[in-house]
Amino acid sequence: MDKRLKQQYSFDSLNVQSKTSKPIAKNVRGIFKNSTFQYLLFGAILIVLLLVSVKTPYLPYSWYGGLISTACFSIASIGFCLLMGYSGMASLGTGGFIGIGCYSVYYVMTLSGLSFFLAILVAILIAIIIGVIVGFISLRIESIYLVILTLGLSEILRNVYRVLSDSINIGRVEIFGMKILTADTMYIIVPILVIIMIVTKNLISSPTGRAMLAMKNSTAAAQAMGISVLKYRLMAFIICTVYASISGTMLILRNGSATASSGTSFYALITSLNILAAVIIGGYKSIWGAIFGTFVMYGMNTTILQNISFLSEHPELVTIISGVLVIVVVMFYPGGLAQLLQGFKGKISKLLLKIREAKYGKDLG
Amino acid sequence: MGYFLDTVLDSTTAMCVTALVTMAITLIFKTSFTTNFAQGVISAFGAFVASTFFNKMGWPIWCAVPISIIVSAAIAVLVDVGIFRRGRYVNAVGKQIITMGLISVIVSITPLIFPDLKYFATNFLSGNISFVIDGYNVTLAKNALVSVIITTIVLATIFITLRYSKWGLSVRATASNEYVAGMMGINTHIVTAISWGIAGGLGALAASINATSAEIGVYFMTEYQVTAFLAGIVGGFATFHGPVIVAMLIPFCTNMIIWFGNGVISKLTGDATLGASIGNWATTIIYIIALIIIFFKPNGIFGKKIEKKV
Repeated sequence: MDKRLKQQYSFDSLNVQSKTSKPIAKNVRGIFKNSTFQYLLFGAILIVLLLVSVKTPYLPYSWYGGLISTACFSIASIGFCLLMGYSGMASLGTGGFIGIGCYSVYYVMTLSGLSFFLAILVAILIAIIIGVIVGFISLRIESIYLVILTLGLSEILRNVYRVLSDSINIGRVEIFGMKILTADTMYIIVPILVIIMIVTKNLISSPTGRAMLAMKNSTAAAQAMGISVLKYRLMAFIICTVYASISGTMLILRNGSATASSGTSFYALITSLNILAAVIIGGYKSIWGAIFGTFVMYGMNTTILQNISFLSEHPELVTIISGVLVIVVVMFYPGGLAQLLQGFKGKISKLLLKIREAKYGKDLG
Repeated sequence: MGYFLDTVLDSTTAMCVTALVTMAITLIFKTSFTTNFAQGVISAFGAFVASTFFNKMGWPIWCAVPISIIVSAAIAVLVDVGIFRRGRYVNAVGKQIITMGLISVIVSITPLIFPDLKYFATNFLSGNISFVIDGYNVTLAKNALVSVIITTIVLATIFITLRYSKWGLSVRATASNEYVAGMMGINTHIVTAISWGIAGGLGALAASINATSAEIGVYFMTEYQVTAFLAGIVGGFATFHGPVIVAMLIPFCTNMIIWFGNGVISKLTGDATLGASIGNWATTIIYIIALIIIFFKPNGIFGKKIEKKV
């Protein structure tokens, strides 16, 4: 026995010695396949793109606005992705939840004079409370009814904002004694987005994520397996509201002001709908999909479409195109663009297989 | 008493608009199994059409409004036939997203077609009817009276048709199970298309009524639409009358809270700002009450409990 093991080990070591180049390549590929590394790389690329658009003439300045909006709203989209793709519940309260972040920052910073990060903590705390409330409601009401209910809740929040203080203005935030200018907000927003992505990815692969997925596919079966529906529904809603609220703090950090009564404010119905659309377009089960969908809804207009001279002359066409895109994606690719990409990948691998077969003959084994 | 009556009469127009919009939303919800977010913008488009014929071309209002109803109905039918029929197996949330894609399209097209319109008619019928109660001069705008009459006739016709006609039966069958209704020989495509058409028409009528007191714009019906969704849930989408009744109660109760603040609390405490601030919270209070009702009666006030099988 010992001898055989020894032989095996020696064979292994021989193999490694003879093909030293392969494992390194494999390791590098492994690093690139590591999701945490991918997210960090994404963050780095995003910051580089933003810097290029601010500091150099190679990218127009409009890219900055588009990309930073995408980053801010992506945080809310990722939370929504978790809620919809993994726990099977939809909500239209995102707008109202984003408002929690905005108003927490406003009240904590301008009225109490405390720091921005404390404001984020307060926003998270309030979001948890609201998330618990919605979570409890979601135990009694499901599907489309829940969607409308969250819409109602969002309207309540918006009314509260309107009565409390219709328009808020925090100006430029100071962190550690430094004034954060509009162009510098990316150093806060992008790292937070990357952290959110990493946390979410880990959550999805953890038993929590699997329990949520089980609950989505069949509540009864999940309960039979010992999964507490109450716990995971509450958790899903809490995560969704907390992310939306963080997204709100980032938005107010970047914009400096917001108005509740305006139909296009962050907390209006249109934001909730846009986030929902972003997640559907991107594919509601993938973090990359959510980010890409958010880019389509919030970034594509200012970065790409407006720079096409024909479209910049007719700005109304841009909204028409994005509307038509939404309809087409939902009608023909229900899994979103992530599914489209997956299909594309499948087609390429099939093509490669065919080429290999033509070269070496069919693999009969 | 006089101020109370004045408040009640003030809410009539809003009640009419919400009732019509809710009827439209309910019809689409029951036949297409989705909430139509584009209802508001399709209605607004109707108001723009009416405004074009009335303000720009000088047609009488009694012609302009029916034309707007026809145009909106045609758009709604087009949406159903062109988009929803093709995506029949898209799930409910997917359908919602489609309607929101439609919002983007219609919102951008409307200003292209009607570039400089802001107002529609000031009134269907000008003048007031006034009477004195308890020494308080109560006025009822003739316009509000006309709105109430039109709304009552339209809604009554729809309810009677739903209850007693063959079309109504087929709508109810489609609403309860589209697949089985199709197997029993009902042409569900036509039922759905007609429902969309009626919903579009109702929307345009509601928009025209609302346009007598508000500036028209692409989003000017959205608030009513949100109220209608909530009314649908509180009333229970299982019936047609439930949502409409609740829809009429919502603006009424909102105005009642305002009256309570201004008329009762202000007089009792002698503090006018306190009363006014209660009025500010009226919508919030109504929405919270609605949420509490939904929490305890998830199927709505008029809804039926559906047993879920595993």
